[in-house]
Amino acid sequence: MQIQLKCSCGDGSCPEWAIIELQGVVEVQPSFQDQLQNLEIGKLCRPSSQDVYTFTVGYHELTGTKVPLKKPFLVLKKVKLGDTEQSSNNDSADSAKVELEVVGIIRHRILFKTRPKALISRAEPVVKERARASGSIGSN
Amino acid sequence: MEPCMLSISGGAEAVLDLQENSSISVAYHPLYGPHDDLILLELDEKLLNDVIHQRVFLRGHPDENAVFCTQSKTYAVKFVGSSNSVLLIPSSNQVPEDGDSQYGNQKKCDRDVASVIKLAPGHLELVEIAPKLDKIKLLLSENPYKLEDVSAMEMEETETKKIGLYRWHDLVNEVQASEEELKSGLKALSAVEIGGHWRLVDESCIGMILKMLLHNSVLNDWTLSALDEDEVLNVLEADGFPRNIAHHCLSVYGDKVNKGEGRCVWRLNERRVCVHYARDVLRDGRMRIDQFIDEWKKRVPEEMLANFEMLDGEVLKEKLGVETWVRPFKVSSLPSDPSERFSILFKERPKWDWRDLEPYIRDLSVPGLSLEGLLLKFTRRVQASSEAEPVFSAR
Repeated sequence: MQIQLKCSCGDGSCPEWAIIELQGVVEVQPSFQDQLQNLEIGKLCRPSSQDVYTFTVGYHELTGTKVPLKKPFLVLKKVKLGDTEQSSNNDSADSAKVELEVVGIIRHRILFKTRPKALISRAEPVVKERARASGSIGSN
Repeated sequence: MEPCMLSISGGAEAVLDLQENSSISVAYHPLYGPHDDLILLELDEKLLNDVIHQRVFLRGHPDENAVFCTQSKTYAVKFVGSSNSVLLIPSSNQVPEDGDSQYGNQKKCDRDVASVIKLAPGHLELVEIAPKLDKIKLLLSENPYKLEDVSAMEMEETETKKIGLYRWHDLVNEVQASEEELKSGLKALSAVEIGGHWRLVDESCIGMILKMLLHNSVLNDWTLSALDEDEVLNVLEADGFPRNIAHHCLSVYGDKVNKGEGRCVWRLNERRVCVHYARDVLRDGRMRIDQFIDEWKKRVPEEMLANFEMLDGEVLKEKLGVETWVRPFKVSSLPSDPSERFSILFKERPKWDWRDLEPYIRDLSVPGLSLEGLLLKFTRRVQASSEAEPVFSAR
């Protein structure tokens, strides 16, 4: 079987998506674990005209840069073509009903490859890596 | 401050075009989730145009590793995982408008928010590979065109057995190769399109047509190096062969010679005709070399000269006591995957001279690897002295 890559972007004007990449994982406070939607992760800031960025997550700050990808990434979306009413009597065609659509392109990522720097050392009780803020960073 | 516009907030643009001395909030998207249907594919810039113009395909069955095909090349698709957290932020145009965002309109206008739709666990990467053409032969061998089909055709539309017949569209779906590679693969196998199906013509069937052609050339005083296409096809058609199969015979055993004036002229290819008769002689297996050569020379047309060198990649010579024997061993029947190829070759013979080995490996092609590279990878090379012929054995 074959799947054609569909692209309706027209001449080179695919919508550009972005990547923020950091080492380790962003850990969410247990109380927000089930409610990630709309939750703020952190603040992305560009303090100067250079391509240097900071990303503040909870009480931690990361420093990174905007780097072009050596090769662009395409963002593909797998689209299942519904035909569900026929699925029982048409087994072979069943699995073939998939389309891949180009929905975006990624040319840059904001890469944070350093370990987080603690922003404050204010002595709060029980504050460790993953307190207070909606998110904090634990390295792996 | 810039005027606040909902269409700008929430998108990748806000991240990529972040102005100096400003900041944005990065948040989980209202629809944040695993989104397994969103896949990242790393792509060479030069392939981008093919994608935009929808000229690329993914091919493969669920039990095969998918390949990525342009019009002319084939790439393996590999997943590369990432241990970093890769936060994927869609373009603002694609942020779905729903009740929530309307509600939060006022608030969002205060500051831009970039929304993370998912964490990407990795991306797909492309590696150019040789097309997997061996399957064509497997498929087309299910139902080759035989002499019986010649007579069946005269009876017009008798419901010939349809099993094992493949149209172009079927092959494109079955074979993991680009369309250009598939086309040249079909050509290399001497396949022909008959009634919409791509077929291999059975060796004895095409041999029969060649025999009739040569027979007619004697009767009609044709020159084998300048055969008039129309004349040949008319005569073969009168002999009961379908015109397109007769034409196929010309293209298998001959080369078109340009001659203008709207006439098509063919020259029979000496090597291909001679190889056909060598195969014919060796149909039943091994023979003593002198016996074989006598028989072979008897069968080839008078105008042609059979020469043992024509049989590179077709027969192997072997010494049995004082006698030399030959037996059929066709490169065309070997797999095109280098590791499988070498494994069969070394099973056949533990040691190969370069002279014998070369015809059996020269057609191997692996993108980015030369023949030298293949030899280094799959063989051990031994040279008794600097002048001696190298001998290759398994690694």
